Amino acid sequence: MTDQSMVKIGNSSDPYNDAAERGWDITDASAITGPLQLEADVVIVGTGAGGGTAAETLSKAGLSVVLLEAGPLKTSTQFDMQERAAYRDLYQEGTGRGTKDGGMVILQGRSVGGSTTVNWTTSFRTPPETLKFWAEHMGVSGCSVEEMAPYFEHMEKRLNIHQWPQPPNANNGMLQRASEKLGYEWATIHRNVKGCLNLGFCGLGCPVDAKQSMLVTTIPSALDNKAKLIHHARVVRVLREGDVVTGVEAEALTANVRGRTGQKITVRARRTVLAGGAMNTPAILLRSDVPDPHGRIGKRTFLHPTTLTMAIYPEAIDPYYGAPQSIYSDHFQWQSVDTGPVGFKLEVPPLQPAFAAGFYSTAGQEISSSMDQLPNTQCMIALMRDGFHEESQGGVVELGDAGQPILDYPINPYLLEGVQRSWGIMLEMQFATGCKSARPAHKQAKHYSTWKEAKAALAELPIAPHKVTVGSAHVMGGAPMGDDPERSVNGCDGKFHHLDNLYVMDGSLFPTSIGANPQLSIYGLVFKLSSKLAAELTA
Amino acid sequence: MAGAAALSTMSAGATLSGCSSSGPASGMKHLRAEDLDLLRAMAPAVLKGKITPGDTAAIDQTLRSFDTLLGDLSAPVVAGVLQAFDVLNLGLTRGLTTGQWAAWSKASLEDAESALARLRESSIGLLNAIYAAVIRLIISAYYLIPENAASAGFMPPQKVASGAPAPDPAEEAAR
Repeated sequence: MTDQSMVKIGNSSDPYNDAAERGWDITDASAITGPLQLEADVVIVGTGAGGGTAAETLSKAGLSVVLLEAGPLKTSTQFDMQERAAYRDLYQEGTGRGTKDGGMVILQGRSVGGSTTVNWTTSFRTPPETLKFWAEHMGVSGCSVEEMAPYFEHMEKRLNIHQWPQPPNANNGMLQRASEKLGYEWATIHRNVKGCLNLGFCGLGCPVDAKQSMLVTTIPSALDNKAKLIHHARVVRVLREGDVVTGVEAEALTANVRGRTGQKITVRARRTVLAGGAMNTPAILLRSDVPDPHGRIGKRTFLHPTTLTMAIYPEAIDPYYGAPQSIYSDHFQWQSVDTGPVGFKLEVPPLQPAFAAGFYSTAGQEISSSMDQLPNTQCMIALMRDGFHEESQGGVVELGDAGQPILDYPINPYLLEGVQRSWGIMLEMQFATGCKSARPAHKQAKHYSTWKEAKAALAELPIAPHKVTVGSAHVMGGAPMGDDPERSVNGCDGKFHHLDNLYVMDGSLFPTSIGANPQLSIYGLVFKLSSKLAAELTA
Repeated sequence: MAGAAALSTMSAGATLSGCSSSGPASGMKHLRAEDLDLLRAMAPAVLKGKITPGDTAAIDQTLRSFDTLLGDLSAPVVAGVLQAFDVLNLGLTRGLTTGQWAAWSKASLEDAESALARLRESSIGLLNAIYAAVIRLIISAYYLIPENAASAGFMPPQKVASGAPAPDPAEEAAR
């Protein structure tokens, strides 16, 4: 086990420490004592991958921009590499978000920078198979591999996305070794980092601003371009005059972002861009009672339902240290696109203790001895590519009593087959690389000592929605783009089909899941859409 | 990871128990007196090998951490968790779902283990979900205490005051 506690990390890089000298216009809505009314060319709701990218593009074109963020502004000065504060301050519902029946846990960011502040930096262009499927089956135009390439290239340069040059940590290294041993294809992951110290705390907020999240790239650049940022401001609805959207109404949240202060924020704008992320953007549309003649809003919301296996090795793994994701395998991802059983991507997650303990979904001596061996533990995850097969229609966003989004997404037999099959593949990989014992994420499973024993157990365990542990860190869809208003919510330029001056620019535009970690797909698509909008508004 | 989410909208199942009306226990912001009885019984079973039934200091520390954790979740999630606890606390549903007919304050370690096993192995999905929420929250509350995280080998670097230099970026040097 490695003790990093003597290492000291400073904060010299935090750009927000000089916000005043930089002339940045940042408002903490929890502190306002009266109504706030603003006007802008464009109001952007959300500061994650979509909102951050749109803010930079539009402000650079000389347009006045107001950015609204429901979460708090937390920056590297506060990122202490401890789990409690990170989960409380940087995640939706303090990591308590889940699907309606409790079958899946949903990890989504909620602070300035959105999920980019806490993601694991893994960057893939939208796979060609996905873009082709959208063009052929989902009515999407203008998003071929060739048409998207310049936008991805721009964002890769902007966010310093490059293949990780250092050796993988032992957790990722095991995925590579197992793939080599069993003849599976694997590759090195591209990451959006600059000056990365290979510490491993991406999911808790990068303590040295090496991660090129929206928090330290596009948002500072938008602020330099005179954009205004208001955090602790939760957008309730869009404002309309007839068929024209004229801005948004938001409510100020208390300092801990768990309550309302009673103050209102109104932003009037020539254009309104929703970028609250999947689930939240469809929820704003639902709360606003906008026209939805074909009942598409909130439908087909996807998660890359993800399951895992844990294995204990004789050697040290230290799975909480080092770049969290650097190796992946698509060997089982594209065996078919939209026919046959579900495809999945193989990756590994970082295992900070409370996070790991939650995913174990077991108790008693089994969890205690597992956690005692956490320094020797390796974890593999399978991210299922939902939304392509007819038996995979995703979930539906509804509104709860408090107007909050709730995702109704039961785990169906099609996904359960993928869960069970992926366990077999991942357990075999772990035994092939010499683990002492391994365990699938089933509530009635235990650590098995041989591949033979594990295989026999897999055949016996009851495979049912609440017996298996499945989670998600990738929420997509719910306000899909497409040329046909009967099958989509927005056009392929992001414009809402049924009202003027309203746009969606985030992961809710995706008509299926991506089949890869989605951040670069959002960056590239939103750079394309916001560039077009900027050109229109400045023409 | 709290993962209690699970319960944010389980009211359909939970309302069969009726709602508990008592407020937070003394010294707690969310947990009620009856929840403390439940969790004092459950914690040594969930964390067997880490906490014994007689180790009241460790149990109380974990319950305080649990209460703080609830405050870090959203209001709908907390409401769902407390509704799940109602199912486990109120006489009839407690007995039917866990086999624990006497109050939790009278439960032995074996009683708590048997209750957990019934929830885990039930063919009713809602009870499996309650099981997952109870154990995840207890285990998360325990490992969110830094010294317990250190016992799992997790000893992250120290954060020092703003302005102090960061170590040389190894990656930059390599490029």
